[in-house]
Amino acid sequence: MEEFRLCTIEEMEAATDRLLETAAKVGADTYQSRLAHQNPHCGFGDKGTCCRICRMGPCRITPKEPRGICGCDAHGIVGRNFLRFTAGGAATHSDHGRNIVDTLYHAEPGGAYQVKDPEKLIRIAKEWGVETEGRDIYDLCKEVAYMGLEEYGKVFGTQRWLSRAPKHTQELWAKAGVEPRAIDKEISCSMHMTHMGNSSLAEALVRQSFRAGMSDGWGGSMAGTEFSDVLFGTPKPVDTTANLGVMKKENVNIVVHGHDPALSELICEYCEDPEMLELAKSVGAEGITVSGVCCTANEVAMRRGVPMVGNFLQQENVVLTGCCEAIVVDVQCIFPALGPLSKCFHTKFITTSPICRMPDSDFIEFSVEDAAENAKNIVKTAVLNFKNRKPELIHIPDLVTEATVGYSVEAIKKQLNVVTNSVVDPQDTLKPLVDCIKSGVVKGAVAMVGCNNPRVRPDTAHIGLMKKLIANGIVIVASGCSAQAAARAGLMDKKAKDLCNSGLKRVCELADIPPVLHMGSCVDISRMMILVSDLAKEAGCNISQLPVLGCAPEWMSEKAVSIGNYVVATGIETYLGVEPGVSGSSEVTDLLTNGVRDWFEAAYTVETDIDKLGDMMVEKIKEKRAALGI
Amino acid sequence: MTLFDVIFAGNDAVYGLTEGAINDAIAKYGADKAVSFPGTAYSIPCYYAVTGTKITTLGEMKDALAVIKTLMGREQELNDALFSGVATALLAELIEVLKYVDNENPYEAPCAGHLPDPAIRELGVPLVTGDIPGVAVIIGGAPTAEEGAALVKEYQAQGILVTLVGEIINQCVEQNVKMGAAMRVIPLGMDITSVIHVVSVAVRAALIFGNVTPGDAAGLMKYTAERVPAFVNAFSPLNEVIVSAGAGAIALGFPVLTNEDTFAVPMNLIPNVPVEKMNAASLEARNIKIKISKIDIPVSFGSAFEGEIVRRGDMQVEFDGSRVDCVELVQMKEPGEVEDHKIEVIGPDIDEMPVGSKQQIAYVVEVAGKNMQADFEPVFERKFHSYMNCIEGLMHTGQRDMIRIRVSKEAFEAGFRAKHIGEVLYAQIKNEFGSVVDKCQVKIYTNGEECTKIRHEIANPMFIKRDERLASLTDEAVDVYYSCIMCQAFSPSHVCIVTPERLGLCGAVSWFDAKATHNLDPAGPCQVVTKEKLIDERIGEYEDVNEAVRKFSQGALEDVSLYSIMEKPMTSCGCFECICGIEPFSNGVCIANREYAGMTPLGMSFPDMASMTGGGVQTPGFMGHGKHFIASKKFMKAEGGVARIVWMPKDLKEQVAANLNKTAQDLYGIENFVDMIADETVTTDPEELVGWLTEKGHPALEMEPMM
Repeated sequence: MEEFRLCTIEEMEAATDRLLETAAKVGADTYQSRLAHQNPHCGFGDKGTCCRICRMGPCRITPKEPRGICGCDAHGIVGRNFLRFTAGGAATHSDHGRNIVDTLYHAEPGGAYQVKDPEKLIRIAKEWGVETEGRDIYDLCKEVAYMGLEEYGKVFGTQRWLSRAPKHTQELWAKAGVEPRAIDKEISCSMHMTHMGNSSLAEALVRQSFRAGMSDGWGGSMAGTEFSDVLFGTPKPVDTTANLGVMKKENVNIVVHGHDPALSELICEYCEDPEMLELAKSVGAEGITVSGVCCTANEVAMRRGVPMVGNFLQQENVVLTGCCEAIVVDVQCIFPALGPLSKCFHTKFITTSPICRMPDSDFIEFSVEDAAENAKNIVKTAVLNFKNRKPELIHIPDLVTEATVGYSVEAIKKQLNVVTNSVVDPQDTLKPLVDCIKSGVVKGAVAMVGCNNPRVRPDTAHIGLMKKLIANGIVIVASGCSAQAAARAGLMDKKAKDLCNSGLKRVCELADIPPVLHMGSCVDISRMMILVSDLAKEAGCNISQLPVLGCAPEWMSEKAVSIGNYVVATGIETYLGVEPGVSGSSEVTDLLTNGVRDWFEAAYTVETDIDKLGDMMVEKIKEKRAALGI
Repeated sequence: MTLFDVIFAGNDAVYGLTEGAINDAIAKYGADKAVSFPGTAYSIPCYYAVTGTKITTLGEMKDALAVIKTLMGREQELNDALFSGVATALLAELIEVLKYVDNENPYEAPCAGHLPDPAIRELGVPLVTGDIPGVAVIIGGAPTAEEGAALVKEYQAQGILVTLVGEIINQCVEQNVKMGAAMRVIPLGMDITSVIHVVSVAVRAALIFGNVTPGDAAGLMKYTAERVPAFVNAFSPLNEVIVSAGAGAIALGFPVLTNEDTFAVPMNLIPNVPVEKMNAASLEARNIKIKISKIDIPVSFGSAFEGEIVRRGDMQVEFDGSRVDCVELVQMKEPGEVEDHKIEVIGPDIDEMPVGSKQQIAYVVEVAGKNMQADFEPVFERKFHSYMNCIEGLMHTGQRDMIRIRVSKEAFEAGFRAKHIGEVLYAQIKNEFGSVVDKCQVKIYTNGEECTKIRHEIANPMFIKRDERLASLTDEAVDVYYSCIMCQAFSPSHVCIVTPERLGLCGAVSWFDAKATHNLDPAGPCQVVTKEKLIDERIGEYEDVNEAVRKFSQGALEDVSLYSIMEKPMTSCGCFECICGIEPFSNGVCIANREYAGMTPLGMSFPDMASMTGGGVQTPGFMGHGKHFIASKKFMKAEGGVARIVWMPKDLKEQVAANLNKTAQDLYGIENFVDMIADETVTTDPEELVGWLTEKGHPALEMEPMM
């Protein structure tokens, strides 16, 4: 038997280099060339000490000029910038969640959107105290969705999902004053606090940053995840493939990119439509391949096994293959560069959301009412574009890996049933995982999340850290672009067990899982919050005591900071490989890396030396195990 | 202390003891003193198998200690823990062999100590054939002697070889458990180290039967894990040495179950098992399936009774799905929802039913298993027909909600009751599908309300769902068809060819079912039939299909078409849901279903038509088929398709209306085609029928003559 081998960073980079030759040929610029022009970055922006909040400024803080015109010091300015950054992320995730709940509200039998997981809907309804007995599922769906929408603007009270956390965690939140109220309120409150002439007290600004983050993770993102499951089905293990080679030269290639599954789900639907397949044949293609970039890829991979062509920094590569008939985007993390780039090829760049409008794109607005028709229209446009390929520009790198994805919390519990003894063990619980951790067969778990960022050699941190962690017996749950990096390397192939230490390897074999579990997109980090809450309850300890860590080694977006804040606030030590832009204030830095531990029993650790970051995590897990006496 | 630390500590303790014992022995006898176990060609077997080195003297034992030390890694790693466990076992073997220095029989009855090679050769054959389905190693004392003895007897009754170490031996003696190799209960010794004598059996089995090379430790562990169905039951209190030895067992692939509250390692170390559940939990942990050789029913059971007919006059009671609500159903459940071998009768039993009466029944078999798939449900269901007919004095026909079961007076008088149906279904499912069914329970409902509910609210929606899955698949879209000969007990020359668009004529074997049946039992009643050599597309005739039909009908049939009723029509066994027969006046066909009791325009009732159609003979102009085939685009495609249907019972018409209308719309552009089909409320007279059809403009009248 051939020995299992990961796809190396060098192989991926060679593939990118080859595609960049095509870019040069057509005279297109790419992020690599633009990055070169942007370096070095503005030092004030980097440290968080540039204040552009009023038009007296911009003010920049230096040791010689320690205060802005209004008298605000570096701590206030850095704190405000950090809070605004968080609010941006929280708003983004939560608005995505809102769109999902809104779609659910409009779901109807036989319609473009239907309730695919009624059981989950009933579970949520019961959790929220809604009568479910004898109710029509769409009637129930309307009521629950309406309640879900109300979470965004509720007049009084805090977020409903908070009650899912262990009691101790809820008490910490109450004590720290970070229980999120209405989601929109936390965001507008954040904007209010940071307006000229409001808060300049670092501690208050940081506290609100965590509250805003909480409104995301335990509010908007959780709504996005939970109601996406109701609408499109709760993910369960499914085999798929990853990397650029999933695109098929002989097929029409449609790439979906963005975050909101409401669009991509329907596109996938129509790509299997016999009429569309017939049309594809009529233009000389053998079939239609849909593949995904970024978190939309994660969504459709988890639910349909749609292949994942690449993560955030692969989006231009997809067009550079010359085989992309259409790149269809919804919201977030879309390079405006795709417009001009697509013009160098036959590729149609199709924007679909009023949230994400871009020059040089075909805008086909996607709304609940005409979703089906538009999806079909988009697929058709792509198919008819097949014949416009420029043969001399065609090159698809021959890189494909196997992956098993789809590990929602529900699916993880189901999968763990495989290793239970049904005579004596409860079913559908995390007990087997807790047992493995307590007995030392598995040392702990790390949630690997976040983006790509050219500040780090793309994907090296994700892949390198995961390799190090699984070799140390630490199981990985991954989401977002981190999950995709893992899949592209081959770490989500069940054969990757061979890279684990003996204990984790045995667990992978018995439970029939890969050592890196794909838990979804970036909103799905809310799944990890539920997982860790259930884990703590099962283990009978606090979340902060579990040998469980969070890590975002290549993060870049505002969303990532919002995520980091709710992960830390949930009691999970979080390791960053990119500085959070607060180094201009010792107070804010100290709060984030130390002070907030008094509030949440967890804080950030920042280390840009990735190897060191990995060692620190392995050590931290050992420390936490020792403290538990296991 | 971590679990791994406990293992390490136990290992260290045994190492110290062994080292001391060897030193003492050398001081007493000298380093050149020979050591060996009696009656074995494999030296000190476990050590020899793991290292490939034979030990002959006390001095060499000292060298062996150094070798064993290399296995004793001390990192917090599973491998170090497991190999330390192996080291503990090897050290135990050294301690045990010292007992045999200058003493041929260090063990006194009932303890056996070391087992010689011939004993292993004797055990080898039943272990390989599954006659001994497992090997239990019980260590320590149960909470009470009664519980300990009960557990041993439970294993004994299942044919499992039980080996005993420590206090459990005294408990068995106290409780008068019959012991000895012939009884398959072997007390090894009182010391924990004596457990090595059963390990030695497993290890020598690997060398003798498995051809494992001494020194190939990985090969050895693979063999024991895959081939020796052993497991350990260790009673509380556990100490470090027992846990450490347990790690050795786990390294060999033997799960350890205990009633102590300690660390858990899923599938390997299972704590907190109550003694009364030890047996069931152990069998599941080691994946041991006990064959049920005798079904607990008061009448005989065997294929000899499969074709037995119970006449009306001889029957005690009849369950009749064509008159009242009856159904048979298999449902996949989660393992936690199923209690193995639980059989419930809900409603009156047979002795509470009037003699000769027609009754309702619904039996639901709930199964769970790690490898179970929902696709297998209908496959199990289709076997019920055969299982039930093997019961002496019971006759079963039909399937799904169209079953009919007669229980003879003789069977009733012998004591046959409703729960025995459950016993039979349980035993047969477990025996035949043990590879996928870990647990199975049966619920038998006999009260009207429950039966109605199960039939209409649970079973039928499920059947519809299964059928709908099939509806999206066409004959052209698949590469193979399947043969089905499940009915050959009744109709020895009949063969169904099952395609996506033509399900078996019983209406119960779809292409998916046949596929799943084939997957479950590759040598069973459903075989792959290729469709590469097309002879005639119009009637759907293939050379490879003909070859299959010839083979499976033992030459009784030469060739069949898939889509014609006139030319080489497919045969019928007698289980058909419907029969269609040619109606010459209208140039069409009439269809009657089994439930229809009246007359058809052919001048025949369903039973009359059945007598012409069954028995595995080709009767052009008549064909048995499933209900779902009526709306198929392949339904007598060669003769022009569904447009030929001129008459059907009203009930059947309603059942197939939606799908049939759609087919007619797709094929001919006719809307509401079903409205053109006559039924018994229109007429059963052939001349009136033609008049009515003319009025409706039925397409069959304009079609080419069928004959």
